[in-house]
Amino acid sequence: MQQQEVLAKLQEVFDGVFLQKVVVSPELSADDVEEWDSLAHVPLILTVEQTFGIRFRVGEVEATKNVGDLADLIIKRLPNG
Amino acid sequence: MGDPLQMESLKKYLDLASPEFEGGLTAATRGARDFTQVIQLCTIRKRALQKGLLAVPSNMRRVAMVGGANLRPLVNFIEHFSAVLGEVCCEFWIGEYDNYNSEILDAESSLYKFKPDTVLLLPSERRCSYNGPLDSSRVEQEDIGRRAASEVLNLCSTIHARSEAEVIVGNFRLSPYFDPGPMRNTSLISEYAFRKFVNMEIGARLPAYAHLCDIEFLSNRRGNLSGVDDRTWFESKQPFAADLLVDVAREYAFMLTHLACAAKKVLILDLDNTLWGGVIGDDGLEGIELGTTSPRGEAFRDFQLYLLELSKRGVLLAVCSKNDYDKAVEPFEKHPEMVLRLKDIVCFKANWEPKSDNIRRIARELNLGLDSMVFLDDNRAEIEIVNQFVPEVTTIWAGDDPSEFAAKLKDSRFFELRNVTGEDVLRVQQYKQESERQQLLEISTDMDAYLDSLEMVGIIKPFDRLDAPRIAQLIAKSNQFNLTTRRRTEAEVLGILDDEHFPAFTMRLSDRFGDHGLIAVVVGNVRGKEFVIDTWLMSCRVLKRQVEEEVLNEIARLAQHSGCTRVIGQYIPSAKNGMVRELYPKMGFVHVKEEEDAIQIYALDIAQYEAIATKIKMTKEIYATAGSPR
Repeated sequence: MQQQEVLAKLQEVFDGVFLQKVVVSPELSADDVEEWDSLAHVPLILTVEQTFGIRFRVGEVEATKNVGDLADLIIKRLPNG
Repeated sequence: MGDPLQMESLKKYLDLASPEFEGGLTAATRGARDFTQVIQLCTIRKRALQKGLLAVPSNMRRVAMVGGANLRPLVNFIEHFSAVLGEVCCEFWIGEYDNYNSEILDAESSLYKFKPDTVLLLPSERRCSYNGPLDSSRVEQEDIGRRAASEVLNLCSTIHARSEAEVIVGNFRLSPYFDPGPMRNTSLISEYAFRKFVNMEIGARLPAYAHLCDIEFLSNRRGNLSGVDDRTWFESKQPFAADLLVDVAREYAFMLTHLACAAKKVLILDLDNTLWGGVIGDDGLEGIELGTTSPRGEAFRDFQLYLLELSKRGVLLAVCSKNDYDKAVEPFEKHPEMVLRLKDIVCFKANWEPKSDNIRRIARELNLGLDSMVFLDDNRAEIEIVNQFVPEVTTIWAGDDPSEFAAKLKDSRFFELRNVTGEDVLRVQQYKQESERQQLLEISTDMDAYLDSLEMVGIIKPFDRLDAPRIAQLIAKSNQFNLTTRRRTEAEVLGILDDEHFPAFTMRLSDRFGDHGLIAVVVGNVRGKEFVIDTWLMSCRVLKRQVEEEVLNEIARLAQHSGCTRVIGQYIPSAKNGMVRELYPKMGFVHVKEEEDAIQIYALDIAQYEAIATKIKMTKEIYATAGSPR
């Protein structure tokens, strides 16, 4: 899966989790989104895992700086890279 | 994801502000089993609330949640399920992560300042493991287990003592790992057996004000291994894996709203392809599939065995079928493999009228609310018609595989046992007798003669310990003949037992057709010279039987006995108690004033009151002892 496809799927996840419309882009980070606080972060990541059918390793999501990093991490955790 | 189509149409309803939105949200929420789906539904509901598309439920509860884990998003899900499925709006106070011991033990904590009416407790499972020596005896191990259970139970009792709140306490799930081998079930030193023992202890010693959120069961049901997600524990102290979190939230919400809602009482059944295979009108008695000669026939028979079990628990079974009556009753009377017989059916409607009309008729004849009924049919069109024309009735589509019917009902949660009382078991018989009485009423046009012919005997008695479960049950379930709809738990009923400010009594009624059991509950509150009727409720099956008159006679007598000169009656309107709106004025009370929320206050001057003569032969077991009214 390419980053582009991952971002498109992430857009669906964001639409399901956040009340406001948040346009997904590689540069987007939690600081840019008012709703994306530590409380919202947990369900967001759990939803990402279920949607892509993947498991993150402990601590690695925390190390991502923005949505682009998260998309790369998702690609890394997908069965066929 | 459960049903992406459903989610898409729900979003469309939301965009169009369609009237179908609310029903769609309820259906999707009922079916939602995974985290992603529930989080989306939460978001959709919040958007709908912002748009003003959803009304906030009027039934409010103040709920505090404390526990040994991060309680979000758990609490958000509990809020969602309570509002959508239980029609209860919760105002939440949420404890700090793993701070529940001090929040509960400190009488000054903000937990108590919040004045919760319900407290949800999720004890830390990491603290619940065996901490004794490995070579200890079984007795020592059990002691340690009992102490662990006591810790949890003591927290419950402290909460209740300080806040009078009901407590819903979670128990512990079992370890999914092989370690320490088969000895996990031979000794309590394994986490597995230890927690199982602690759960049993908590369950066995649970007081009346506490209720169990059975996390052990929920985790077993889903599979213990899939309920574990240690990564989310380390990262954000989540207690469970995402999907188990949904199950636990659903259960807390279920327990929470069940404390406020009445249970279902009647199961209305279709016949053809629901109780037997085939169509009795076409296939005839020999042609229908029923019994051990075929797998399908055996499945129907087995389903009937489960229905019979429900009936023994006190669930009323009724039939609503499109059939000629004579043909429809034939299997009940003649088929050798039929489990259910006519005596098990409290109301039997087989004709060609629409089922929605028949269901309304059943409700009228049994004198029960439509919202206490569940309708089961294998035909989707019939389910649709009932949904549309009798929306108060809950429907279950049986499906097309009779081997799954019983499981569907068992998972519907509509007929779960709360606390079984002896009266539940008698109930089926009583409703059966009620229809016989209705027939007698049709024959005798003279009301007085009819009442005379019933040979009624009544017993009035103060509250006592033995009756407490039945009293609590009536208080929880009675909606129609209920002047104030004040709910009290069994613990609270026991609490006023010896309180002289709350003289309280019950009435039982029997007649020549059978025993109705305990059918009326009155709680008075003596305030100086005034005797305020705090609670007056009655089972609707004894309406128009002069029970009201006898109860009022007793209220007046008791008020006088307590040194009062006036009886004060309140009518607090609810969605369901319209039938008693005019009760007080009809019984000679004078209207005093209207208070907030349309609450009406009435008064009765005891000096002017003359006891009403009735056809009930009364015994008053009670107040034989002179002096104190108790």
